Amino acid sequence: MNTESAGEKGLGHGWIRRTWVVNGEEVSLSVPPLRRVLDILREELGLTGTKEGCGEGECGTCTILVDDRPVCSCLLVAAQVPDGSRILTIEGLSAMEEGRILEAAYVEAGAVQCGFCIPGMLMASYALLRRNGKPTDAEIREAIAGNICRCTGYVKIVEAIRLAAERIGRAPAGK
Amino acid sequence: MVTVTRRGYIGLPVERTDAIEKAQGKAQYVDDLRRPDMWYGAVVRSPVSHGFIEGLDRDPDFDWSRVVLVTPEDIPGRNVVESLVHDMPFLASQEVRYRGEPVALVAAPTREAARAAAAAVKPRIRAAPSLTVPDDVVRIYKEGGELEYLWRQDIRKGDIERGFREAEIVVEREYRTGYAEQLYLEPQGMIAVPQEDGGVLIEGSMQCPYYVHPELCALLNLPPEKVRVRQTVVGGAFGGKEDFPSLIAGYCALLALKSGRAVKMVFDREEDILFTTKRHPSWVRHRTGLTRDGRITGWQVDFLLIGGAYATLSPVVLARGIIHATIGYRCDNVLIEGRVVRTHMPPSGAFRGFGAPQAFWALESHVDELAEACGMRPDEFRLRNAYRGGDTMATGQKVPEEYGGPAVLRKALEQSRFEARFAHCSRGSTLTDRWYGIGLAYFCHGAGFTGDGEARIKARAAVELAGGGEGGPLVVIRASSTEMGQGAQTVLRQIVAEALGVPIESVSYPLPDTALVPDSGPTVASRTTMVVGAVLYDAAVAMKKALEGFVSQQFFDGADCVLEEAVFRSGSGQAVDFERAVQDYLRTAERQQRFEAVFSLPPGSQWDQENFRGDAYPDYSWACYVAEVEVERATLAIRPIRVTAVLDIGRVVNPVLAEGQVEGGLVQGLGYAMMEKVGVRDGLFEADRLQTYIVPGVLDIPEIRITFLEFPYRYSGPGAKGLGELPLNGVAPAIGNALKHAVGRRIHDLPLTPEKLFRAIEERLVEQ
Ligand code: FES
Ligand code: FES
Repeated sequence: MNTESAGEKGLGHGWIRRTWVVNGEEVSLSVPPLRRVLDILREELGLTGTKEGCGEGECGTCTILVDDRPVCSCLLVAAQVPDGSRILTIEGLSAMEEGRILEAAYVEAGAVQCGFCIPGMLMASYALLRRNGKPTDAEIREAIAGNICRCTGYVKIVEAIRLAAERIGRAPAGK
Repeated sequence: MVTVTRRGYIGLPVERTDAIEKAQGKAQYVDDLRRPDMWYGAVVRSPVSHGFIEGLDRDPDFDWSRVVLVTPEDIPGRNVVESLVHDMPFLASQEVRYRGEPVALVAAPTREAARAAAAAVKPRIRAAPSLTVPDDVVRIYKEGGELEYLWRQDIRKGDIERGFREAEIVVEREYRTGYAEQLYLEPQGMIAVPQEDGGVLIEGSMQCPYYVHPELCALLNLPPEKVRVRQTVVGGAFGGKEDFPSLIAGYCALLALKSGRAVKMVFDREEDILFTTKRHPSWVRHRTGLTRDGRITGWQVDFLLIGGAYATLSPVVLARGIIHATIGYRCDNVLIEGRVVRTHMPPSGAFRGFGAPQAFWALESHVDELAEACGMRPDEFRLRNAYRGGDTMATGQKVPEEYGGPAVLRKALEQSRFEARFAHCSRGSTLTDRWYGIGLAYFCHGAGFTGDGEARIKARAAVELAGGGEGGPLVVIRASSTEMGQGAQTVLRQIVAEALGVPIESVSYPLPDTALVPDSGPTVASRTTMVVGAVLYDAAVAMKKALEGFVSQQFFDGADCVLEEAVFRSGSGQAVDFERAVQDYLRTAERQQRFEAVFSLPPGSQWDQENFRGDAYPDYSWACYVAEVEVERATLAIRPIRVTAVLDIGRVVNPVLAEGQVEGGLVQGLGYAMMEKVGVRDGLFEADRLQTYIVPGVLDIPEIRITFLEFPYRYSGPGAKGLGELPLNGVAPAIGNALKHAVGRRIHDLPLTPEKLFRAIEERLVEQ
């Protein structure tokens, strides 16, 4: 995929070129170096599943994975993400087996209300389960400590992650 | 724990119908939408708290070629928000009454360009004196100084003089609360799209499409059919998207009509916190007469809310506040005097609880102090004074013979082992490093609109038969109630499925669109499940009867039949499938497709709006919270460890969603109780972002134990009462009371912070 920013054609003055692997697909873009990754995802790439709740790294709704690490895409600008970086958003996670298991667990546990925090929560949940397949409750809480949910009171979100961990643990290897 | 009765779909924990789309990131919130050729809007705001507009200067160095500017002169209709009291302009044209008040609007091709353009418009304003700080208001009030009131309302019962003559003990105390922000995670946002017929389509994040609709007709001078309002998926609201969306919709519409393009406006977090509504700060003084054995003889309450620059919803927030000010306890002689003060701050507005959290912070802290004054335990005092069947409330409303109050109180006390644990409270003992305290709050929430609200609105809702086909729905709900995260979409479908006797998958409930749905009233006041649910139930029952009649004629030679589990069955065992019957029914166009019903209040309901006498609400939901806290003696860090919650919300339609409402409301209440704080400096809210406005995260929550007891609403099919707001109401006083019994000192103003605790303890040391 080749994309250019904000309706301008060609490389704008002082813009940079970046090639990333977004949800498994190679993407090349020309963007202003200080353009937020959040805006690039939402506006350039149409990946609107990543949400903006605060724009200052406090709420976690914009969480994505860059090379498997959860980061706030509202604090990250294009220049900080080197060529070849692997970016995973909710759209990518949704297409994965672990993503489907997590989503189903959230739905079953009743962990989704308004839903605005949920994509970020799921990314944080997945990041946790990637490195720790059998998290304790304390580890679950720790993993989503940077994600604000104003609706659920977190009880059912913690339950959902616990449920997903059990299921992913049980899923046959290789899937 | 959930102990709910099941009856088909009512009581069944079905999964939310909107959850999977949200979890996959596919749900479209307003900022996820783009329209062809869309521009972005921004607001030009007053730089001063109070003053008179002399002009608007446009920066001559700015490139204005691709900017549309809207000033008050561009408004085709009425420049006033109709709401309840017509005092707020969409755009200030002469006097500005708060810092940040909108004075003009701009639109430009990008968000950044729109913001830059807004910054390049400089209002020239002659500044005037202003009143902005809540502490100043309270001081002036107590000194008897001059204040302007946006609203006043009193409640009187019996003879207050006599109440105090009979008293052996009089307790007088003051309680305070500050501003609080709803902090729905999705900021406010709208898109306006001009239509070919000169009208406008509004899409956005809102609770009440039928609040926005008439406001825009008046603002734009358009007939109703030319304004169409459609809800997009809402990322939380909590009252914050009750009345405010009318403003932002108006702004987008004005820009769209002037520019001839779609215009989107989405606030960033800072703008959203700074310039949208907050919970009213309050100052409440209780003066209460008691006999030595703990009977309440007279009760006088001074109830002051800080309303901001315009009245907007304040009259109804005050109404709810004063009605709940002494609720739950028997007393023959009551005087409650309520006032809303005008200041030069953004209008205070709706936030989950709507005046009741302020009322219960004062009431339930005070009741603990009353117990202490007559040497009783807090639980004993409450049990002694709780309404009994046949008692009357302050408004004169009669308490039914059987109601949920005493039951939830007893259950919560028993489950939390209150009496035993109360004996172990530390009360500031120097023998331990970790203080323990337990405290309770007993509270309720009037379900539905206050006073004559439901009678005026006459909520309507309908169910419609659709063709089905390709897995499409056979039944469509037409109601203006919005899903904002609380679960209305699922719960109302359950109610209709239950009334009809069909699976929930056959019933759809699209997002409301004023072109398609009747006015079911706004999605506020914990009324949706109870009121709109009742109406839809009736509409669905009418539909079922019509279909049964049809099937009996068409298929069963006139033999009676019943629709159950999607099959019509006659007495002799003949059966016809629901889908087939509907398709046959719809083949003849004249047959009634749409079944509408209207809400009616319980028989004999009466309300005197002028004197606030009568049946203030159709029914009440009741709850008791018992909170346990620990305080680190060295650091005074406060940790809530457990909350035992017992609630009567009538029949529980969906126990998992109901628990979710309680958990969410409880944690929001915890924020209000312990963390959330907005000061005022230079006419602006001091906490203007998530770094400074701290809300609870997962690490802040205690163990939560929930039990529902069901005392159904007797005048509707589903029997549900209000749920949404109740869970927030009692958190702060439960924690405050627990804290008192942990440290031996009471804090009278929210939030409950270690700093305040430190000061309270210092005072004690000084006294000793
Ligand atoms: S939007 Fe990035 S952390 Fe809130
Ligand atoms: S579900 Fe609404 S913020 Fe989490």
